[in-house]
Amino acid sequence: MTDVAVQPAPVRRTPYLARWAATPFHIGCAALIAAYLVAFLIVPVASVVFVAFWDGSGFTLVNFADFFRTSIMIESAWNSIYVGLMTVALASAIAVPLAYFTVRFRFRGAAIIQTLGVVPLVMPPFVGAVAMQLVFGKNGSINLLLMDAFGFRIPFMDGLNGVIFVEALHYFPFILLNLSASLANIDSAMEESAQNLGASGWRLFSRIVFPLALPGYVAGAALVFAKVFDDLATPLLLNVTNMLAPQAYLRVTSVGIADPMGYVISTILVVLSVMAVWLSLLALKNREFATQQRGGGGLSKREISRGERIAAYGFILAALFLALSPHIGILLLSVGTIWSFSVLPDGFTLAHYTTIFREAGGFMSNTILYCAIAALIDVVLGAMIAYLAMRTRLPGRHLLDQIAMAAVAVPGLVLGIGILRTYFPVDLPFGAGSLATFWLMLAIAYSVRRLPYALRSCSAALQQLHQSLEEAAENLGASKSTTLMRIVVPLMAGGILAGFVTSFATAAVELSATLLLVTRDANAPLSYGIYVYMQSPAGRGPGAALGVVAVVVVAIATWLSFRVAERDRAKRTRSGMAI
Amino acid sequence: MFTTKRRNLLATIGAFALIFGAAPASAQPLEEKLVIVTSFSRDVTGPFVAAFQKLHPGTKVEIQSRSTTAGVSFIRETRSNPPDMFWASAPDAFEVLKKGSLLQKYKPSATGIAERVGPSPVNDPEGFYFGFAASGYGIMYNTRYVRANSLPIPKEWDDLKKPEFFGHVGISAPSRSGTTHLTVETILQGEGWDKGWASLLEIGGNFASVSDRSFGVPDAVNSGQYGVGIVIDFFGLSAKASGFPVEFVYPSVTTIVPANIGIVAGAKNGNAAKAFVEFLLSDEGQTLLLDPKIQRLPVRLSVYDKAPAGYPNPFKNASLGSRVNFNNDVSEVRYELLNSLFDRLITFRLKELTEAWKSIHAATAAVSKSRSAEGQKLLANARKLASSAPITEAQAKDPQIAGSFQEKRPDKPVAARQAEFEEQWDAFARRNYAEAKSLAEQAARAR
Amino acid sequence: MSGVEIERVSFGYGGAPILDDVSLNVAKGEFFAFLGPSGSGKTTLLRLVAGFGMPSSGTIRVGARDVTLVPPWKRNVGMVFQSYALWPHMTVEANVAFGLEQRGLPRAEIGGKVRRGLELVGLSQLAERRPAQLSGGQQQRVALARTLVVEPEVLLLDEPLSNLDAKLRVEMRHEISALQRKLGLTTIYVTHDQEEANSVADRIAVLDGGRIQQVGTPVELYDRPANRFVATFLGTANILEGHVTGRQFQSGGISIPDIDRADGPAAMAFRPQDAQIAPPDGPGFGGTIARREFLGGTIRYSIAAGTHMIVVDVPHHRNASALEIGTPVSVMIEPARFVTLAG
Repeated sequence: MTDVAVQPAPVRRTPYLARWAATPFHIGCAALIAAYLVAFLIVPVASVVFVAFWDGSGFTLVNFADFFRTSIMIESAWNSIYVGLMTVALASAIAVPLAYFTVRFRFRGAAIIQTLGVVPLVMPPFVGAVAMQLVFGKNGSINLLLMDAFGFRIPFMDGLNGVIFVEALHYFPFILLNLSASLANIDSAMEESAQNLGASGWRLFSRIVFPLALPGYVAGAALVFAKVFDDLATPLLLNVTNMLAPQAYLRVTSVGIADPMGYVISTILVVLSVMAVWLSLLALKNREFATQQRGGGGLSKREISRGERIAAYGFILAALFLALSPHIGILLLSVGTIWSFSVLPDGFTLAHYTTIFREAGGFMSNTILYCAIAALIDVVLGAMIAYLAMRTRLPGRHLLDQIAMAAVAVPGLVLGIGILRTYFPVDLPFGAGSLATFWLMLAIAYSVRRLPYALRSCSAALQQLHQSLEEAAENLGASKSTTLMRIVVPLMAGGILAGFVTSFATAAVELSATLLLVTRDANAPLSYGIYVYMQSPAGRGPGAALGVVAVVVVAIATWLSFRVAERDRAKRTRSGMAI
Repeated sequence: MFTTKRRNLLATIGAFALIFGAAPASAQPLEEKLVIVTSFSRDVTGPFVAAFQKLHPGTKVEIQSRSTTAGVSFIRETRSNPPDMFWASAPDAFEVLKKGSLLQKYKPSATGIAERVGPSPVNDPEGFYFGFAASGYGIMYNTRYVRANSLPIPKEWDDLKKPEFFGHVGISAPSRSGTTHLTVETILQGEGWDKGWASLLEIGGNFASVSDRSFGVPDAVNSGQYGVGIVIDFFGLSAKASGFPVEFVYPSVTTIVPANIGIVAGAKNGNAAKAFVEFLLSDEGQTLLLDPKIQRLPVRLSVYDKAPAGYPNPFKNASLGSRVNFNNDVSEVRYELLNSLFDRLITFRLKELTEAWKSIHAATAAVSKSRSAEGQKLLANARKLASSAPITEAQAKDPQIAGSFQEKRPDKPVAARQAEFEEQWDAFARRNYAEAKSLAEQAARAR
Repeated sequence: MSGVEIERVSFGYGGAPILDDVSLNVAKGEFFAFLGPSGSGKTTLLRLVAGFGMPSSGTIRVGARDVTLVPPWKRNVGMVFQSYALWPHMTVEANVAFGLEQRGLPRAEIGGKVRRGLELVGLSQLAERRPAQLSGGQQQRVALARTLVVEPEVLLLDEPLSNLDAKLRVEMRHEISALQRKLGLTTIYVTHDQEEANSVADRIAVLDGGRIQQVGTPVELYDRPANRFVATFLGTANILEGHVTGRQFQSGGISIPDIDRADGPAAMAFRPQDAQIAPPDGPGFGGTIARREFLGGTIRYSIAAGTHMIVVDVPHHRNASALEIGTPVSVMIEPARFVTLAG
């Protein structure tokens, strides 16, 4: 009556490799990534961090015990957590509306908003700090004006709240970029069905749209938190030292101190950052975010009403003005003569630009080369790691993800020293010098430091890609690698581009590792050039001019990539029918 | 295993240098390249490099700009294939390199160079690094800022203690800036440990911020973020030369120290390096120091004849740096400890410290009006609390304590770990400042 | 073209297995359906045949070839996804051409096959569109064309009609059925809709809880369900659980004589149309009309009898009068119409 087999056939067990849903290609990729991370992240960092566990003769944990017994460390840890969380809140308040406006309304300036939205990430070292003080400082332009007109000051840059203010202005683009990518991937039917059920306005946004875009938001927010947690430039700029990152930095970089505490703090920073990212992933677990078969299409764009337009533009202009004021400051600095205790510079000149174009052309081309290589490595590795973590059951795949993310918390200086320590004894052939100081190493160091950005973007993009799209390709005879190239990568293009831009933009202003690894002016990038100029009073103008160039380079790259992404998206959505 | 290999290599290079390095530089042809790691800005290095390359057309000078700390780390990590020279201000950085056997000996042949400048010898007595210019420490102020805030012109360290300077003074942390370290050490040696700390803490009560890099202070004064900075002279002088509305004064308690250059052990371009040292010390090189963008004090006495009128001359002006007999040995023993102590008492507890002094300043004004004896007593106690150090001078040089802040060595036992001392000091500072604040508040209310 | 053999396949790592020791054969050219409620494991089993996921144990053969460890792209088993999974960044034409390109066919040949494929599903004029510009039914056809052009050995359809409206669903059902017969393609069709399965499939495997409950033709399953699950999942059934004592079946106040079964507990089932309603005190057991539904061809009465609610269908003719609610009746069933259920 039935075909149920009656003979007791021996049951065959399936080998592990097959159960992991992994091909040799995947294992190859995983091995390659692991090798890269071990070679350029783990070994270098371990070679430095082991000091934390070394008491002169053997392994010890006493230094960690000291950390928890030291009141200033505990205070610093709480301050860092507080600042991280508050920054996420403030950055969200800026980024969420901006992201929503750009994907919801048919704006002329959406591309410009997206571009300008990335620019705050590009805060050239030193010159950015000077500009911030000149604009927002106790005696900066804004406070001098306030003082003149109303006789009071606003302490923008005071203490922990100052740090939160500056960090939020600096890092909100992480949320903006990731959230926009996520919003753009939501199937319009999701929104329409909610509207159909009577939801509109805030309710529609808070109950349907935002939850669907959550992977992007959480990716961005986790990055902001980890970044703020690890950021030392801003607290130091504001002379706030009672936070973990500046404490670690101050200790690691002091001459002549063989103090293990700096490395203890670094280790704790890495652990806490990884935990933050891990928690954010946990929060998203067991949720289905994949958009339906139509592959997104994004929210339906609509014309904006007059009242809305005024409100939206008002918000956008205010937010962008705040976020870009340091850049305006840098611009003024670069064209100003002397700017001291006054609202604007005393006079204007283009001499600083003449100076840098005469002296510093190489810095620009080097920056573009290194950062492009670094960003390319990042999106390739980021996409591969995201894919392995989400689409295979390969053992250790989450570890790869976590290790790559941990790089977000590795201070550039630690990585720089580690790379020197590990690779300096390795000589390149043909007398090209040491491997550690070879220019490519700079690009590699950047790629390691910025990998988490690209990885988060890729993960968020992949999370929203319905797996059946890949299965359909495999079913039709496309191998995993072909599927990756022809289906996954094109559909993740938005996220990959966002990752590329973020990596590129932030690598362009990376300084701490740069200072250790650059050996020749001819091989040096912009950030090094800025550093060199900013060491003397006369170099402030040219340094600012270089900063402007860095910002402009990044802005152009971002704008181009945004255009490409937008054109690609238009092809996929229903609105493309008209074209 | 790594380190043994490196050491062997180093020994080989060292031996090599010993055999060939002794011959005078001029007898050897110069190499094609010279790699110099420096913390100096382009404004300083540019003219020297250009002039040197003109003099030795066959040699191309490569400048690697790094902060002093990064430079030291770099040289430490690149023993197997090091740069040729290290060129920076802070003598202590050279001491660190010298102790790590990372510099090589040389005896410059130039004559007419001063033996001593201020309290210290121009060159390292053992011949590992050489002073090429002198710098003194002092006070830099922004004239617009001072006028706008109706501040008096500061001249002496004691001026900075005045209540009217509250929130207007900046400094960099001695742990972050070799030059500030020397300033602090100079004040401690000049005024004595206890009185010195009292001065530092009282001035600290007026700090707007403690910067993490030397150049942060002149930057802030130049832009008017705060009005007064404690800096090394060339920061002030070169800013003024660049057109910023700033002035610089030497207080009477100051020290003049040499800025240095040294040849790195195992340098591949040893001959060019030696030639560069000779060039720096030559008449031509020394004259370059007078450039308004460089503004350092030459060590070749004859060059001062070419200097513009009013150019500071530490060899003539007896008041410059002469009041302090700077003792290098004392400084060296407590070097790391002092950095840490300053951070515990001032850098990391600046908020608490300035709040305490704000209350004290307010109370001083109130008590001078009320003339309350009770108030004066409370105020004196508050002042004492807000201006004392947790350890004595004797303790500071006790190897059992100072050793905790240095590299761990089995043959040098220490009383406690660095972290334990630091926690004690931090607790001391917090307790004292809080108490001082509340005493001062009581004093202000006392009738 | 080939059959599919599934031999002792289990799936699921840790926890309760999703598939538990499943074996069955699909004959060459057969239209086979996996039928079951959601969570029964039917889609998982289909995906294993396609190569998505590996069984923890067991063997899957397509034709004579053991494909258990063969990756999906080397199986030549065509699958149409429930969501269609059309690639939004490619045109209809590019979607359909994809599989052919993977097989390395020359350009010209691909063009011809794509054209014929689109003709087959009647979409030639939409080749340049993107998926987002198509209706649901059109997307379904593109998905079908995309799978068929590669001439797979086996066609797998995962709930292919669930995203369509009712009318379109019936239309597509016939279309798929006709297409399958035309191409003579071995086909496995996953659905939770018994009507759909009955309509298209030669044979059906009913799954529940990761196990196969019964395999057979639609009529076999309907007439001779192997167990309670199959009996109720396919059509309506009256199931009486009770005891047989001396050829007399007793259950909840109902007593049925002349049962050819040994003494002991038993479950008896009969279809609503297999019972007849007679005036009270007639042969059979007594009850009262509790509910009446008019279904067009039949009238369905629910009759309260003992503790049971018995469903009986009576054919409806024009002008035939219906029984009122509350009318006492007796229900009569021929012993041959009873099915004895296992378990």
